Amino acid sequence: MPPSIHPVHLITVLRQKSLTPVIVFLTSRRSCDEAFQAFESTAETLSQARQDVITGVLSELTAAYPSIQDHPLRQMVTAHGVAAHHAGHLPSWKIAIEELMRRGCLDAVFATTTLAAGVDFPARTVVLTQSGVRRDQDFSDLTVAEVSQISGRAGRRSKDSVGFAIVTPSPYMDLGVLTRGLTGRPEPVDSQFIISYPMVLNLLKAHPVDHIQSILARSFAQYQMNAQAETLQHRIDKLQAKLESYQPRECSDWLTQWSAYDQATRQATQKLQARRHHPPEVLARLPFLTPGRVVAFSRFRGVVLRRYRSKGQHHEMVTVLRHGGTVAECPVADITGVVDRTLDFAPAPAFPWAAPEALSWLGQELGEMPKQLPAITLSPPALGEGSGELAKSLDGIFPCPTCPCRPVCAKEFKAANTVKQEWLHHARTVQSLRTGLWHKFQERADTLHDLGYLDSAYKLTDDGEWARLIRIDFSLLITEMIRAHAFDGILPGALAGIMACISYENDRPGSFPRISPAMTALITATRRMASSLAPHDDPPLLRADVGGLAERWVGDTTVTWTQLCRSTSMAEGDIYRLLSRTLEYLSQVHQLRATHPGLASIAAEALSRIRRGVLEELP
Amino acid sequence: MTRDELERALAELPFRMLRRLARTIAGPPAMRMGKRRIIHTIMAEAETNQERIEAAIRTHQAEQLAVAAIPVVPVDAVSDFTAGKPADLDSFLEGIGVPERGTFVPDDWQVEAVDALERGDVIVSVPTGSGKTYVAVEATRRAMYEDRTVVYTSPLKALSNTKFTEFSKIFGPESVGIITGDRRDNPNAPILIMTTEILRNLLYDAAGGEIDVRLDTLGLVILDESQFLGDPERGVVWEETIIFCPSQARMLLLSASIGNPQELAAWLTSIRPNPCHLIRHQRRSVPLRAGYLHPNGKLTPLFRTVAMPPSPSQAVLHPEAKRLFTMYEEDTSYGSRRSG
Repeated sequence: MPPSIHPVHLITVLRQKSLTPVIVFLTSRRSCDEAFQAFESTAETLSQARQDVITGVLSELTAAYPSIQDHPLRQMVTAHGVAAHHAGHLPSWKIAIEELMRRGCLDAVFATTTLAAGVDFPARTVVLTQSGVRRDQDFSDLTVAEVSQISGRAGRRSKDSVGFAIVTPSPYMDLGVLTRGLTGRPEPVDSQFIISYPMVLNLLKAHPVDHIQSILARSFAQYQMNAQAETLQHRIDKLQAKLESYQPRECSDWLTQWSAYDQATRQATQKLQARRHHPPEVLARLPFLTPGRVVAFSRFRGVVLRRYRSKGQHHEMVTVLRHGGTVAECPVADITGVVDRTLDFAPAPAFPWAAPEALSWLGQELGEMPKQLPAITLSPPALGEGSGELAKSLDGIFPCPTCPCRPVCAKEFKAANTVKQEWLHHARTVQSLRTGLWHKFQERADTLHDLGYLDSAYKLTDDGEWARLIRIDFSLLITEMIRAHAFDGILPGALAGIMACISYENDRPGSFPRISPAMTALITATRRMASSLAPHDDPPLLRADVGGLAERWVGDTTVTWTQLCRSTSMAEGDIYRLLSRTLEYLSQVHQLRATHPGLASIAAEALSRIRRGVLEELP
Repeated sequence: MTRDELERALAELPFRMLRRLARTIAGPPAMRMGKRRIIHTIMAEAETNQERIEAAIRTHQAEQLAVAAIPVVPVDAVSDFTAGKPADLDSFLEGIGVPERGTFVPDDWQVEAVDALERGDVIVSVPTGSGKTYVAVEATRRAMYEDRTVVYTSPLKALSNTKFTEFSKIFGPESVGIITGDRRDNPNAPILIMTTEILRNLLYDAAGGEIDVRLDTLGLVILDESQFLGDPERGVVWEETIIFCPSQARMLLLSASIGNPQELAAWLTSIRPNPCHLIRHQRRSVPLRAGYLHPNGKLTPLFRTVAMPPSPSQAVLHPEAKRLFTMYEEDTSYGSRRSG
């Protein structure tokens, strides 16, 4: 059996059961196109009467959207009454398909799940072929809201008395996701409030800085965070009550007291354990191994440069300068004798632990030393000083060892400390929930101040006044480029190109090999600027190929849409979206007429050039 | 039992039980393992686990007998979603066609929504295609009657254009204007269609001192598709618009079904001068039925009942759909394993 139903077969079955018109939801643009192409080989076509209706509707629409006239898919749509509808198509073509569907001329449309919400595009039946959807690089399950958005398209008001959502399996489909989606409650809507640079500038333009906190408090983000904080506060109160339920002690803050005592005891024990790793004669050496001390090993003699113990290691080590001038790391246990001789030098904080001149001097001194030197006799410390002595050493510092509460503290500390840590954690979370937005705002404002858009009183500077008019993504990058005079006197095509680069965030592969040298330099400059702003704002993708595309469209007004499409592997719809986004960015730049007349006029020129052909069709 | 008997008996077991058995014997089976493959893994360990396998088979047989012993009680198919005779294809497909055209009578919730706007802001959260536009149009009509400006915003330019055409037909082209990123038609009209971003920018400009006259007489702001508030990239624009919306203007938020409309309403109430009314329901204006279509062309209802189960816990698959889907899963997973 095939992994999933053949599209032609699918539509035939649904036609038989009079379940058409139908929208079939598929995962990718390509599968939509393939499903549509599959009809090419079928001999079965629509009746002439129905074909005439479709032709009629299409020619009606041609008046408003001339690009429908010669659309390559027009023939097949008319013949078979099916179509593909996805973001790779031009908006005008999508409008045509939607209009045909609304008038009931088509039997089937193959669409991606991203079919824009809100566009009036219903059918009698929707077909679900998968339970997942591609998001960025990942594949994740459809949410209940998405499934209900899809199933919401089934059943046209006043045209259908009942609508159908039909599931047809494909590999890796999870039926559970779909049944949950069809019957479950949609997910809650959560705030996606982010504080952007233009927001900061615009807020500070209209309100003094001490009003900002109360304005931010009105956001849904803060409302939701307050609700969260409230729930946490309940937990905190409960934990607080739990902490208070422990009986009073001698000291006021027994947890801190005991934890300090506990830690001190533990550290002392650790020291004791470290001592156990070395025989007493080695331990006796330790105090003598200061930098500059001459020590003897079985086969050579050296000067101690430093003594250390590596993390997690028990063995004491020394770094020594050996006779030949080499620096070596040796265990203290290997030292055979400590010589009664020290060489004074200034130790350095990093390898080789002494200044180069000191090293050569030490080496020289070592070489000149006589063979026989007096050794220090060491008296190994007496063993057996156990924890008893240790406890005594802590006596003076902590009251705990003699405190009457000690057994209770020892018993209850662990449980109580867990509660206290949780309490602290929640308290910190509540704090950040209550003040997080304001801190973020301050952080952004400080950056703007450092860059010179705000003065020290958080009032807009002259640069800030115009910069607040740029209210798009990557506004900081664009305003910084303007301030760096990077756009001064460039061609309209290059301006459009760089705006396209900045605006286009899709990494769907496409290719457009040739870009002008001026454009290359501009992109390099933008990239450099973006990376210098990286600590304050995420850099854009800055795809050179899309910049080249926009530059070509704006730079050379003789280029037709077909030529433009042929010069790249990008889908028509993507090019359209790229150019219309570029248009949006350019019109933002155009707003700077008052302060940057030169730049605004370049932007105006680019805007007028961008609006031609297909771009002019849609208002 | 001999090996052959054992294998045959295993084949009778339901898929879920087989997986459980395989897990206890040979560790968790791989996600996409088919039935045959699982039986194979179990049989590989059969010698040492014979008793355990036989016990599982016996339990299953006992269960089967117990199920057969329960008398079948006929239950009204619509009232009970989990029991009763499963729906058949004929009743599933019954009633396809064009409904009789009656005179249009607004639903109670639509009237309620328009009335509630007199008292404060309104959030409408209803399924797609239930007639939110009616509420928008009626509310606009009332605001027009009181000589107040109306702003209607949508997330998409395409949608704004559609609404512009629609509103122009209803209220006459001279009273409807549109402002989008690259289009400005009749921007001084009493009804303005725009994208939400444009309204946000207007509100910022007004707050910044460049007073826009239209905002003084602004009586109603309609935010269509307000579930966009949760959009990771653009959601913030809706939030800003709501925060900075002038207090004398009423807000009408139209949204698809969302999980927490009451939370949104509570938020609006907390920041706006008037309380926010929530209008919500789950009824679709055209009833929905769910079906399952097997790749061989066989169509069956997806759920036991013709009507949609009201919650996932009551969603019981139609036995035929379940059988076909299990068969499909076994076939494809086994096939893909072997070929891969």
